[in-house]
Amino acid sequence: MNATDTADLNTMTAASVQATETVDDAERKIVTFLLGKQTFGIDMSALIEIREWEDPTPLPSVPAYIKGVTNLRGHVVPVVGLAERLGWEPSVLHARSCILVVNIEGKHAGFLVDEVADIVSVADSAIQPAPEVEVTETSVIRGLVEIGQRSKESADQKDQTMVSLLDLDKLSPTRNLDLAA
Amino acid sequence: MSDDLDDIQAIFFEECNEGLAVAEEGLSTMADGDTSADVIAGVFRAVHSIKGGAGAFGHERLQSFSHIFENLLDEVRAGRIEPTAHICKNMLLAFDVLSDHVQAAQGHAEVPDDAAMLATLEALLVEGAGDTPAAETTAEASTPAVEGEADEFGFMPVVVDIEDLDGESDPFMDLGDGDAEESTAAAGWSIRFAPSRDAMANGSEPLLVLRELERMGGEVVAVETASLPPLRELDPEGAYFAWSITMPASVTRSDIEEAFDFVAPDSVVDIVEGETMPSHDSEPAERPGAEPEAEDQPVSAAPSPSVAAAESEPSALPVKAVPAASPAEAKALEAPQNIRVDVSKLDMLLNLVGELVIRNSILADRLSSADQQRVELPELARLTREIQDNVMALRAQPIRQAFSRVPRMLRELCSATNKDVALEVSGEATEVDKSVIEKIGEPLTHMIRNAVDHGIESSEERVAKGKPAQGNLKLSAEQRGARIFLRVADDGRGIDRERVLAKAVEKGIVAADATLSDEEIDNLICAPGFSTAETISSISGRGVGMDVVRSNVEALGGRIEITSAPGKGTTFTMILPLTLAILDGMVVRLCGQRYVLPLSNVVETVQPEPGQMRPVANSSEVIDMRGTYVPVKRLSELFQLPPADREDEDSVVIIVETDAGNVGLMVDTIEDRREVVIKSLDQNLYPIRGLGGATILGDGSIALILDIEALVASANSPNKFVLKGMAA
Repeated sequence: MNATDTADLNTMTAASVQATETVDDAERKIVTFLLGKQTFGIDMSALIEIREWEDPTPLPSVPAYIKGVTNLRGHVVPVVGLAERLGWEPSVLHARSCILVVNIEGKHAGFLVDEVADIVSVADSAIQPAPEVEVTETSVIRGLVEIGQRSKESADQKDQTMVSLLDLDKLSPTRNLDLAA
Repeated sequence: MSDDLDDIQAIFFEECNEGLAVAEEGLSTMADGDTSADVIAGVFRAVHSIKGGAGAFGHERLQSFSHIFENLLDEVRAGRIEPTAHICKNMLLAFDVLSDHVQAAQGHAEVPDDAAMLATLEALLVEGAGDTPAAETTAEASTPAVEGEADEFGFMPVVVDIEDLDGESDPFMDLGDGDAEESTAAAGWSIRFAPSRDAMANGSEPLLVLRELERMGGEVVAVETASLPPLRELDPEGAYFAWSITMPASVTRSDIEEAFDFVAPDSVVDIVEGETMPSHDSEPAERPGAEPEAEDQPVSAAPSPSVAAAESEPSALPVKAVPAASPAEAKALEAPQNIRVDVSKLDMLLNLVGELVIRNSILADRLSSADQQRVELPELARLTREIQDNVMALRAQPIRQAFSRVPRMLRELCSATNKDVALEVSGEATEVDKSVIEKIGEPLTHMIRNAVDHGIESSEERVAKGKPAQGNLKLSAEQRGARIFLRVADDGRGIDRERVLAKAVEKGIVAADATLSDEEIDNLICAPGFSTAETISSISGRGVGMDVVRSNVEALGGRIEITSAPGKGTTFTMILPLTLAILDGMVVRLCGQRYVLPLSNVVETVQPEPGQMRPVANSSEVIDMRGTYVPVKRLSELFQLPPADREDEDSVVIIVETDAGNVGLMVDTIEDRREVVIKSLDQNLYPIRGLGGATILGDGSIALILDIEALVASANSPNKFVLKGMAA
């Protein structure tokens, strides 16, 4: 995360270009991360903290994507494998694997992701609604946004990446239960 | 401003509820035949404060109803109406209407129709006044109050008319001169106390001084109202009265002077020894009521108009009728001081202490025992434990709170079912954690409904069976160790086992050819969807009642026991943990994970000898425990963990007690026995069947707490661990 200061330069310019296009447009900060080959984003305001991966305590009789519970400063917080939750192959754990702890309507949950990428500002108007093409669960993607990605070879190179903004409410581990109730 | 008012109003409602509880207790005591003055005065005070607050906050219906009720109580208190069983019964009914009014004022319910009850109360008042001629004058004296009652401004009825305040005459103030003289004669000290005009602005409250003097045995014999200005010039915060007080000779001068320690500086205090009154005080007997200086008012006989104008009760009124400080009120001043604390603050404190306990065990885990001694860790642990106990004690409440609504419920049930049932309550002082009290209300309601509707017979039926016509319902609570035993016992017909069994077969709850023990049959009434009531009444019979009781009690970590004797009655016993926050547990290890078993379930542990475990058909096993075969479940299988790579002989079987009898649970090893702080899983997730929550162990890792009952029950059911609604 300490790389974000410099990394922001590019993304900020990209964002500011968009901002000048529509003047009175609200901006929001999003945290982007990698899962498999895709870049996802969540609203920064929902993020509580980013932790290193640590094996959670497994729970019996829960769906496979709930990896267990972990101790977050005295609170028992469920950890969700985001890849499994989206119906993908489980993430392979590696050094940069981490848990995004988020607040979803007052309940805390951790999501296992492959790598946290960046924090960027995007204009609301730049967010396009998700096309209804996904077969599994369209609803978990709230929208798509193009951001300029920091390139590893050259800082000047502009490389547009598509970020899928996740709808956290839909990903809440208690959601299915709420619907069933 | 309105927020402040809301806050004050919230306090008022809290006081209302406390007042209602006091009133109900007192009225019940009266109905049971104890009509001593203390009891009646207690009820009167409670109803009176409700009326006072209701007026201040503009709850007119509540105020007007409580006013009439209070009038009746006042007559009873003054001995002008005999507290007969009939009166007491009606007062209890009036109390029910009053509670409804309070509910309505809080916006929790519709405003009740009190016309009939008001008429009854009025009739009782008239009757009472007619019966005892001596009371007539006083009854008339309070008539203006009754008329002024429906004042659209919501003003309090006051037994003072404007002329009095203008200082012309005080017709009502000359009641009971004789009393005043008598007590003057008996007194050893005569005191005249005239607080300075702005005494109250200086924060010195004359009433407190008067109460203090009364507590020492003093008596107010006269009140001077001479300096009272006309109403339009009256400063509601001014002190206008002066009092003459007599004290018994047994009180020393220094004690009396001490009482005046905190009066405002320019107040007049004359303390004279002997029987004669100070010269500037008028002789009450000679010029009764005519002389402006000589207004005496025997405090004990009539409402004093304004001793308490400065009463701190939130009141919009400059002048207001308040009963004079009675000895019981003076006593209340000596009672322990209480403060109100938001429960969420206690919960926060409890959480923090829980954290402290965890940190403590982390330290204990990480430090060698020599280091622990060096930093005095054991001492810290002891202190922490003490803090924990004290915080738990803060949350402990007498179970009376849960019992308090039972009498009314029973009255309503009795009138709905036309049965006559007496209630016997014991152990209501037993203290349990607040969370438990909150959650036993519903099961308790169901158990009592069940007892009255199904258990206790009608009076005719009872007499025919040679039982007393009046049924008896015993409600009791007691603490045994870390458990609370809550019993609801009736002396009714008992459980009709044949009918229960037939019904259970009919509903498909048990197989037609099943043979069940009496105990098992009794427990069937707790099965989901079971009801034997022939007709579904509004009271019970929908077949959900006892099922709810059972699940609520289990959710509390408790269990329910039913004992029944045909023709003699049924007893339901709820066995509940004292607290829901801390659990005495056994930490076990299984497949690298740690789990906590509630120690209350554990019967014994055993390391199986070769051959002690025997496989039975369809992959179930039993263990031979001194000749008794106990079924064994492998925890790893229940939790679908990878099968343990160890011999049975290296494992441990923990025999646990469940509703379904004893069961052995096989785990890898037993690690520790300790108290753990329960963290609920549904705070961030949802409850999982088989788990009672989680806890954080000394090393910061999470251990799951097993819910043995649910775990064993789900292991026995074919569809184990099917979580509803989990689509993915």
